[in-house]
Order: sequence, then structure tokens, then C-alpha cells
Amino acid sequence: MSATISNRSFRPYTGEKARISRAYDYLILVLALFLFIGAFHLHFALTVGDWDFWVDWKDRQYWPLVTPLMGITFPAAVQYVMWNKFRLPMGATLCVAALLIGTWVTRIFAYHYWNFFPINMVLPATMLPGALVLDFILMLSNSLTVTAIFGGAAFALLFYPSNWPIFGMFHVPVEQGNGQVTVADLFGFQYIRTGMPEYLRIIERGTLRTYGQYATPLSAFCSALLCTLMYTLWWYIGKWFSTTRYLNKI
Amino acid sequence: MKMILAKTLMSFCLVFSVYLMDVRTAMAHGEKALEPFIRMRTIQWYDVHWSKQAFNVNEEISVSGKFHVAEDWPIGVPKPEASFLNISTPGPVLIRTERYLNGKPWTNSVALEPGGDYDFKVVLKGRLPGRYHIHPFFNLKDAGQVMGPGVWLDIAGDPSDFTNPAKIINGEVIDMESYGFTNGVWWHAFWGILATAWLLWWVRRPLFIPRYRMLEAGMEDELITPQDKLIAKSAMVAVPVMVLAFNAMANNNLPNTIPLQASLDQILPLPAKVNAGIVNVDTLKAEYRVAERAMRFDLKIDNQSNAPLHIGEFSTANAYFLNKELPVAHQDLSDSSSVSEEGMSLDNNDAIKPGEQRTLTMVVKDGLWESEKLDGLIRDADSRIGGLLFLYDLTGKRYISSITAAVIPKFN
Repeated sequence: MSATISNRSFRPYTGEKARISRAYDYLILVLALFLFIGAFHLHFALTVGDWDFWVDWKDRQYWPLVTPLMGITFPAAVQYVMWNKFRLPMGATLCVAALLIGTWVTRIFAYHYWNFFPINMVLPATMLPGALVLDFILMLSNSLTVTAIFGGAAFALLFYPSNWPIFGMFHVPVEQGNGQVTVADLFGFQYIRTGMPEYLRIIERGTLRTYGQYATPLSAFCSALLCTLMYTLWWYIGKWFSTTRYLNKI
Repeated sequence: MKMILAKTLMSFCLVFSVYLMDVRTAMAHGEKALEPFIRMRTIQWYDVHWSKQAFNVNEEISVSGKFHVAEDWPIGVPKPEASFLNISTPGPVLIRTERYLNGKPWTNSVALEPGGDYDFKVVLKGRLPGRYHIHPFFNLKDAGQVMGPGVWLDIAGDPSDFTNPAKIINGEVIDMESYGFTNGVWWHAFWGILATAWLLWWVRRPLFIPRYRMLEAGMEDELITPQDKLIAKSAMVAVPVMVLAFNAMANNNLPNTIPLQASLDQILPLPAKVNAGIVNVDTLKAEYRVAERAMRFDLKIDNQSNAPLHIGEFSTANAYFLNKELPVAHQDLSDSSSVSEEGMSLDNNDAIKPGEQRTLTMVVKDGLWESEKLDGLIRDADSRIGGLLFLYDLTGKRYISSITAAVIPKFN
């Protein structure tokens, strides 16, 4: 089809054609919204999982490492389609917004009303600032390489500081049982989860150590590096698994 | 076609209505699903007692008790290097306000020592009214959940009455049920509005087919206007600046925050309560007679105490088998549902005198072996039994031995 349309012969849709085309836009948008709510939310729950579910899992080391790394996947793939096929720089924002809608619905209905957890114990994190910047960089650079390096890095680096205003107050210390815990830890202790003993949490384990007690910047930069690679991988996944052949028949 | 559809729908409704008529409350948590050798030879619970089983929202109750960590810990189960005493509940219908191990406050996980004796207490507060089947149980890292004895708890009252204040370290009292929620919603709304504005900026114009056609026609420059670029450039600077500014503001407002805490509590076992060396019990042989639902033990008992002793009880995996010939009172088992009042018989019920060594045969016979799914032991890869044997003197003083043996099945 691309070979058949030239700049000179191009005629914009008018009248009934324009109206149907617009209806098609809305149809696709609504379907895409539900698709991303379901698919991205499922992907996120299976990969980030407890780090995103519980306030007492949001540590300073693995949470800022794992969440952007798994969170940049769908945005990268959808950005490929939205940008390369339609020049729409909103793939990342659309994906992350859909994820947040799904997450809020789940937290309210499944965690709060169904399983009785206080909603503040299961507050979701936001990746919207990083997603916006990812879209801006792709639009302005029109380059996979630049977006992967700078957008991927920004997506990871902005994650923790954009969430600290939400979750910082859960890191205020409380005295409990002759020791200090955070308010978040207290939630984990008080609100009983039968399948979630304290030792399951992955808090500063392994060889990823703090540097002068600063753990988060190290994790964030590590995540930034990995996000550049993950972005590229998922960009190509978007390329391999997307098609516009149905549009060609219109 | 309509007829087939209608018939299919009616059949479905019929099947579904039959199913609905049989909807029952879940009565258990899979506590009998774990292999018997793990339930018998890891955490050996006894003296578990609930302070109350009917109470109101906001009222505090406690569950306390003792457990012995079996010396004969199964080779297939990782050692209890990180263990967490939990409460099985259908969600946080109760909250855990305090927990103690050997009298010491206990917040995190702990390393238990095989052969060690411990007592525990968990203070709980009613949160949601209802009737719930609740157990204390141990989460054992890499091993699973070992249940303690369960009871039914009745919580009455109004859920909206529930309060859970906590004092943070600067003295301010917070409400755990709502703390941080409004703030979280505000930030989500803030970024959500910006994201929505960006999406609407693009969605307001013709999208997929027209843009695809224009792109294919080489009219790429018309798809992104200078105004789009200006907005993107401005926002690309503004968003990170806002993120960093808000982060700095949050840091200023919260000067004393700490990372999540994840240390292992260090609590040593009590002086020996079980296998304390005063009464030694050696299991010479154990046989399970499948047809009779009876476990037969040949025991060699060495009474080094200064009083004559009687065997009173055998307990394993929260099932209790009592010797009805015991001349003194048994331990209080009013909270236990798996008690065989006459399940134990001995070939010699006479008191074991001080200094006496006696070999005797004890038969523990009851349907509990089957109903508690303990008879599956003979088909386990590790078919050794473990349990606690309780011996009493005439004053009611109790000596406990943790006994263990390989089990030989007798199928006929």
C-alpha cells in the first residue's frame, strides 16, 4: 500500500469516510485500553508482584531495580507500534495509565473489599513521570538508540524520586517490640497475611550492597543501565509481533 | 438453533443452581495436606490455649502455648533458620498487635534450634465481625506451613468501630487504617491528570487510519507540529524538575526516615522442657496396623525422677491420644478438636517406679490416624513418626519426651 500512495496523490478523508475513520479510532482506543489494562497488569503482577502489592516490600534496593525494569517492557513494545506506524508519541503513557487503572481497580476491589486489607497498605506506585519522559524523548529524537539510552535511563532514574512523596511517610520509624520498625513494617506485622511471612521479603540481601549507606542511587543507576537493554529488547518484540496488514486492506 | 441455545442455557442454570444450594463455608486451610512426617517431626505443639473465643471488634485476645522443635528433624526439610509464627486467617479479620517468644517481644523471623523448647504468645485484636477458623502456625523458610491446633473464633460488633492508632517515633499518633491514603491518592491524581492531558492532546485529532496513510505518503512532518514539539520540549524539562523538586520537598518534610527493617530476631530456647534428662524414653519399634488404625510402640522408659510415673498422653500433629487409666487430670485440651479420649492402651498400666527401667508396649488406636491424614506416613519417602509422650506423677507434675522411630506398616 505504501508504494501506492504518493504525497501528490494523497487525499485526506472527508465526510462519511472521516466519520467512520474517527469511530474506528475510538473503537481501537477502547479495545487497546482494556487490552493493556489486562495484559500489562497481568505481566506486572507476575513479574514485579509483591514489590508493587505491599507497602512493606517497597525497599530501597530491589524495588527501584525491579519495578522500572519490568515496567518498561510493554511501553517499549507499544511505543514501537504507536510511533513507527502512526507517529503517535503516547505509547508509554497509555500503557502505564492503563496499568494504573487496572492496579487501582484490583487494589480496591480485590485487596480491600474482598481480602480486607487497608487500602493504604496496598497503594500502587506510579511510573507515569518516567512514561511521559519516555514519550517526549521518542517524539523529539525519533530514534530508538537515543530513546533506549536516555529514555530508558530516565524511566528508571525518575521512578524512586517520583514515588518518595507517596511512600516516604511509610518509612517513619515506630517503636515495636523493643526495636524500631518503619510504619510499612508495622503494616506487615499487624495485618496478617498467611502466605507472606516476614522472611519472604527480599530486603537488602545478596551482593548488591549499599555504598556509604546509599543504596537507592546505586540501584537506580543499575536499573537505568538494564532498562536501556530491556527497552531495546521489547521494542523489537513490538516490531516482531505487531502488524498493520489489516490497515493495508482498507 | 434457538431451541438448542435455550436448552443449553436451562441446563447450565440447573447445574449452577444445584451447585449454589451446596455452597458451604471453607472449613480448613489445607492443614492436613502437608506430608505427615513434616507435621509430626518439625514443630511439636502443646498447651495451646486461646484466652477467648468470642469477643468484639477492637477487643484484644491472645493465643499462647508451647512447642518443641523436634530433634529428629527430617533430612528433606531445610533447617528452621528463618521461621515466622503466623496466624491463619481469611485476610486480616484480626490484627496482630504483639507477639512474644520465650517472653521476649518478637517482631521479625527467628532461627529455631532443633531440640529447643519455646513458649509463645500472640496478642490479636478483632477487626471484622464473623466466625472464623483460626490456627497459629509456623511458616518455615523453604519448608512450608506447619499448623498448630485450630479453633473457631466469633467476632461480634460493627467493623466501622475498629481503630488502630500507632505512635510514630516523634510522638505523633497515626491511624493505621487511613495513614498516607489521601496523600497517595493526591499524587496519583496529579500525575494522572498530566498523563491524561498528554493523551488527550493526541487523541483529540484523527488517529490511526489517517495518520497511517499520511505516514505512508511521506507526510511525516505534518503529523508532528512545531507546537507539539514545543510542548514536548517544555514538558521534558518540567517533568524531571517537578519530580526532583517534589522529592526534595518530601525529604524536607520527612527528615527522619529509615529503610525497611529486615533483621532476624535472636531468641534462645528455654531450658529443656522436653527430653530434659529426668525421664528418658527410647522407642524400640513402631508398627502401624492399617486395618485397626493403630500405632504400636515398644518403648523403653528410664524413670530417673523421684516419683512413680504414669504414661498419660501421646500427641502428634495436633492429635491427642489419652490414657483413660491415668490417675490424675490430663492437660487442658478443651480447645482441641482432635482428641481421642480412650485412644491409648498399655500392656502394663502400673506406675513406673523411681529408678526403674521398663520396656512396655503402647498401642495408640483411633480413627484420628485416618481422619487427620496421618496414616499416609507409611507411604511417605520419610516414614518416621515423631510425637510427644506425656508422663505424670501422682501430683500431676508432667515429664515430656519427644519420641521418634521408623514405622513398619502391617497391612493385614
